[in-house]
Amino acid sequence: MIPAGAWICLLAPLAGTLAITLCGTRISRVTAAWISTASVAVAFVGAIVAFAGLLGETPHKRSHLSTAWTWLEAGTFKAGLSVLVDPLSVFMMLIVSGVGMLIVLYSVGYMDGDDEERRYFAYMSFFVFSMLLLVQGGNLLILLAGWGLVGLSSYLLIGFWHERPVAVAAAKKAFIMNALGDATMALAFFVLILHGRSLDFGIAFATSSHLSSTAVNLVALGLLGGAVAKSAQIPLHTWLPDAMEGPTPVSALIHAATMVTAGVYLIARTHPIFEQARTIGLVAAGTGALTLLVAGLVALVQTDIKRVIAYSTMSQIGYMFLGAGLGAYANGEFHLMTHAFFKALLFMAAGLVIHALAGEQDIRNMQGIGRLMPRTRWAFLIGSLALVGLPPFAGFFSKDSIIAAAMGAQWYGWIFWVCALVGTFLTGLYTFRLYFIVFPGEPSPFVREHYDAHHGKEGPWTMTVPVGILAVLAVIGGWIQFAPLWTPVTMWLAPVARTLDIAEPTSWEEGISSALAVALGLAGVAVAWMLYAKRERAVPVVPTLQRALEHKFYFDELYDALFYRPSAAIAEWSRRGFEEPVVLAAGPELGDETQLVGRGVRRLQTGLIRTYVLALAGGLAVLAVVFLSVR
Amino acid sequence: MLGPSVAWYLGVAAFLFGTGALGVLLRRNPLIVLLSLEIMLNGSNLALIAFSRHHGNGDGQIFALAVMAVAASEVVVGLGLIVALNRKRLALDVDKLSTLRG
Repeated sequence: MIPAGAWICLLAPLAGTLAITLCGTRISRVTAAWISTASVAVAFVGAIVAFAGLLGETPHKRSHLSTAWTWLEAGTFKAGLSVLVDPLSVFMMLIVSGVGMLIVLYSVGYMDGDDEERRYFAYMSFFVFSMLLLVQGGNLLILLAGWGLVGLSSYLLIGFWHERPVAVAAAKKAFIMNALGDATMALAFFVLILHGRSLDFGIAFATSSHLSSTAVNLVALGLLGGAVAKSAQIPLHTWLPDAMEGPTPVSALIHAATMVTAGVYLIARTHPIFEQARTIGLVAAGTGALTLLVAGLVALVQTDIKRVIAYSTMSQIGYMFLGAGLGAYANGEFHLMTHAFFKALLFMAAGLVIHALAGEQDIRNMQGIGRLMPRTRWAFLIGSLALVGLPPFAGFFSKDSIIAAAMGAQWYGWIFWVCALVGTFLTGLYTFRLYFIVFPGEPSPFVREHYDAHHGKEGPWTMTVPVGILAVLAVIGGWIQFAPLWTPVTMWLAPVARTLDIAEPTSWEEGISSALAVALGLAGVAVAWMLYAKRERAVPVVPTLQRALEHKFYFDELYDALFYRPSAAIAEWSRRGFEEPVVLAAGPELGDETQLVGRGVRRLQTGLIRTYVLALAGGLAVLAVVFLSVR
Repeated sequence: MLGPSVAWYLGVAAFLFGTGALGVLLRRNPLIVLLSLEIMLNGSNLALIAFSRHHGNGDGQIFALAVMAVAASEVVVGLGLIVALNRKRLALDVDKLSTLRG
């Protein structure tokens, strides 16, 4: 029953995609939307079935590998099309399909009336399928297949509005950056295959313990490369803010609930390799710490509502990387779950505002919208409080354990700990800057002019209901674990990814970290209130710093100078030096030469029979002479 | 074996073939060209039959019969073409029929 639930969970969204694709225009747009929603709902039910099945077993037996058939066979190397059901994958399945279901439902309202709704919903289901394949994959090869498909479907969804050049460019950027990560992962897998002849989790992990330290570091580095690209961590983070060109539910699905958290899942899944290569694990934690600071700073000056939330996502995933890199896998995964709730909530509440203002995304034009949309305002406030991590909201429980875990580590732990605490201050500041600029106060003239009430409500029920559910989850979702008193998530994940002792904080460390994090978060909120509640300015006014932040620390410019310009120059050079003189000139040249030869050969065709006969006779004579003389 | 040796027959066959070939090459009247072709074919037939006798089996004779059949068909087509040319009031001169010149 457990494998059946898992297979249903995996295949239902794929079936939804196929149904919508094959039916084409024979079904109405609304039908397509509901097929997609239903398929993800079925997946959620399948995940619950698998979860219930696992609950009924003793913890150390909770691992089921179900292989459909041998997918790939080359010599002694074999990889099956298999799904693995264990606490970690079920945990991810529940988040992906559960939050995914709410987001697809929300899309029914948000995308209503779009020209290509059917295509959108086919992509949505396909994305959920890819993500489920990633988290359920029974060996590293299937995981990589899911990994690649997630990249493909995010490319399709980000570039969904293909008539907008910006969206297409953003989609390409996301795809290329992700492809880079896919490549490093594939290289890591080649090293594993070379030494262990298998990509099954167990065998691969056993292999990694026999490898030389160079080899295991390379493998871990390759995996980290994939995780960093997919989770938009420095230095491969620049695609995520641009990806906001996609429809808002896509942002919620890709950039909150599922895709960007895949990197955290990968680290938790392959943790035996990272434990063999502790240095790389710490590099992961350091990447997370750096990203959470940089993203928090950049979020302070963004003026696009979705970009602020996107940078906040990067920052929060930085926390997860910090936790997972240090060995606190369960804390990382727990923050992943609560983050899925409150970040999807923030994106979807922002989507309600954007929807009501006919596509406007600039926060400077949204001032005072809270008066007209009181319930959205409450939902956004709940999401913001959960994001800052104030008790009793979800973020408090998950984020603080990560900060405390950093404190428990060695001397470098203190650096991470300070970074994480500064991060909470920044979180409070940028989150409530957004809130204070957009919601309170008198509605601005722009808002009055463009506000489009949806039958007197704040949005169709398909949009408001998911927001409501997520608002509830953003409040209570964190209550399932309150370290160190009450730790069911850690216990649940322990058979797969046991938290390292070094990352196990004492109660004293938990207490002081929580107190400081809450205090700094509140300080951030207070500073935001002082600066922005009076609505005098939308961005801070320190010119140099502001310019650096508005250019996102010049990462785009750096990559432009490092990669784009050299390759464009090489392309230009080879066009001038090779293509134009050689390739382009070859065509006409060949034609001319052929004509010239033809003009010569044509003379042989005289039209006189005697010539032909003479040629025949002459040829015969020559042949006869040759035969006779050779003999 | 009675009569002259096979070499004499081959000599006559070569003479006939050469005569025919010269006729095809040099004459311009299509009727004469056809006639020369027949002489060439009969020259080769003579060679075939001579070899048949020489080897003492009938293969060459059967082959000669097939050549005769081909020659007859060819004459039908050739004479038909010549009649058609005449009807169109075209000159009966193979050198003037050179529209296929490249």
